[in-house]
Amino acid sequence: MALVGPLLELRGIGKSYGPVTALEGVDFDIGRREVIGICGDNGAGKSTLIRILSGAEQPSGGEIRVNSEAISFRSPADALARGIATTYQDLALAPRLSIAQNVFMGGELLRGPKFLGMLDHRRMRDEAALYLDRFGFADIDMGRPVSDLSGGQRQAVALARALRWKARIVIMDEPTAALGVAESRQVLELIRRLRSEGVTVIVVSHDMDDLVAVTTRVVILKKGRKVGEIETARVTSGRLGEMIMSGVVA
Amino acid sequence: MTAAWKPFLARYGTALAALVLFVFFAATARNFLAAGNLLGIAKHISHIAILGIGFSIALIVAELDLSFANVCSLAAVTTGVLIHGGHGTWLAVSAGLAVGLGFGLVNGLVVTVLKVPSLIATLAVAAIANGLAFFVTDGVSVVGRWPVGFTALGRGDLFAIPALVWWMVAVAGVAVLFLKQTRNGFRLVCTGENVEAARLAGLPVRRLKVLGLLLSGGAAGVAAVLLTASLSSAAANMAGDFLLTAIAAVMLGMTMFEPGHANIPGTLVGALTIGMLGNGLVLLGAPYYVQDICLGFIIIGSVAVSASVLTRAAFDV
Repeated sequence: MALVGPLLELRGIGKSYGPVTALEGVDFDIGRREVIGICGDNGAGKSTLIRILSGAEQPSGGEIRVNSEAISFRSPADALARGIATTYQDLALAPRLSIAQNVFMGGELLRGPKFLGMLDHRRMRDEAALYLDRFGFADIDMGRPVSDLSGGQRQAVALARALRWKARIVIMDEPTAALGVAESRQVLELIRRLRSEGVTVIVVSHDMDDLVAVTTRVVILKKGRKVGEIETARVTSGRLGEMIMSGVVA
Repeated sequence: MTAAWKPFLARYGTALAALVLFVFFAATARNFLAAGNLLGIAKHISHIAILGIGFSIALIVAELDLSFANVCSLAAVTTGVLIHGGHGTWLAVSAGLAVGLGFGLVNGLVVTVLKVPSLIATLAVAAIANGLAFFVTDGVSVVGRWPVGFTALGRGDLFAIPALVWWMVAVAGVAVLFLKQTRNGFRLVCTGENVEAARLAGLPVRRLKVLGLLLSGGAAGVAAVLLTASLSSAAANMAGDFLLTAIAAVMLGMTMFEPGHANIPGTLVGALTIGMLGNGLVLLGAPYYVQDICLGFIIIGSVAVSASVLTRAAFDV
């Protein structure tokens, strides 16, 4: 396995739905421990790109490489097995289930003979607490239903599930949408913590301030094409907004 | 009412109301508290409870199984015809269970592969099962003096408690253990709670939906064998009346313990409440049709409380 070079490479990724082209020839690389932003106006192709990277959809053309190895995902389970986890805008959580149950959904811990498939509830609660502790939420009861949690806490649960899958790449779709100021700050801090733990993060957001605050680089899409990318240290949120509108990156 | 009482009443309010009803009948209806009468109620509702448990599992994966009563009738006549024809108990019981599981599998495949909404798919499968049940029996009931080894399944006692009650408790216990303590049971719950979240978490949601409907069919098979054994007879429409009663038990159960969601303890208490209501009304001399009227009100009231879950099960593909 190559450890030099980009962690994730996209080459000529395209996606068509019948006559409609949602993505066309999108190329970019993502390095290890990088926090990269993907932005663009409505219809730019951000959601389609996420769905392709998360295995929810297959591209019509192009190639995805992880550690220089060409891969194709037929389902979200394939992407998870490759260490790519996605947290969605609606967080894809089951509100009535507990924090621990949400963290371990699809990766349950078992006790006793494996063929019986008996759940190890205690170990799942204990380990979920360890994951949440990494995001500064150590004092929450892991048996609490997710519906009782704040938006920031729910993001932490979604991220804990991603870490549970030992994800090397976490894709976050609109992580601060519908959150208050304090909760948004909490989520940006979660992203920084992920990076400090060696996880590569892809943030898709409409919020330019958030992208400038937390990412190292931003890829700009317009009408299904990549129009450019820019290091966030060189740009303000206002300028980034102008680039999205004009489609000119300079 | 203080805020602290609200969650308690939401969870246990219906069960408490059932308790009040129990006390009312105990005080007003002669012989209601007799051990034989109470065991009779439990025995009487055992088939309904087992069918309701199957229906609950289908609802837990957010699907409706409206075929269970007809599948139960078909499984019952299959078992009855085999026993009546002198075949062994094991063969007859296995065939009855296989019919239930087989039709459950068909329901699951029609819903997940052909993408027919379960409301329509299971109604269609119910019609097929009904037709086949009349085909198998030619419309004539199968009655006979059947081997004790078979009839004991539905008529025997253990520690003075009818076998049917033990079977009901065993099926409920296994269902609770499966749903709460095993990986596949938990995944059924996840699938019903948020199918997209389950899919994105890598769960094989189509297979899990098939499993939920398969188990519902399996419960119909179990109820069929016990029904045939307890009555020593089988008829093409013998479980038809159970459809509404079992659904009412599940709906009532959805108003307690896990409000708004199908759950096995709720289904069991719901079935017992309906059985108790029917029995108490009979003992008080109420005309038989009053039970039907009560059943209708129970369903409307319960569904009004649990509407969102049912809508999702009925209309999501």
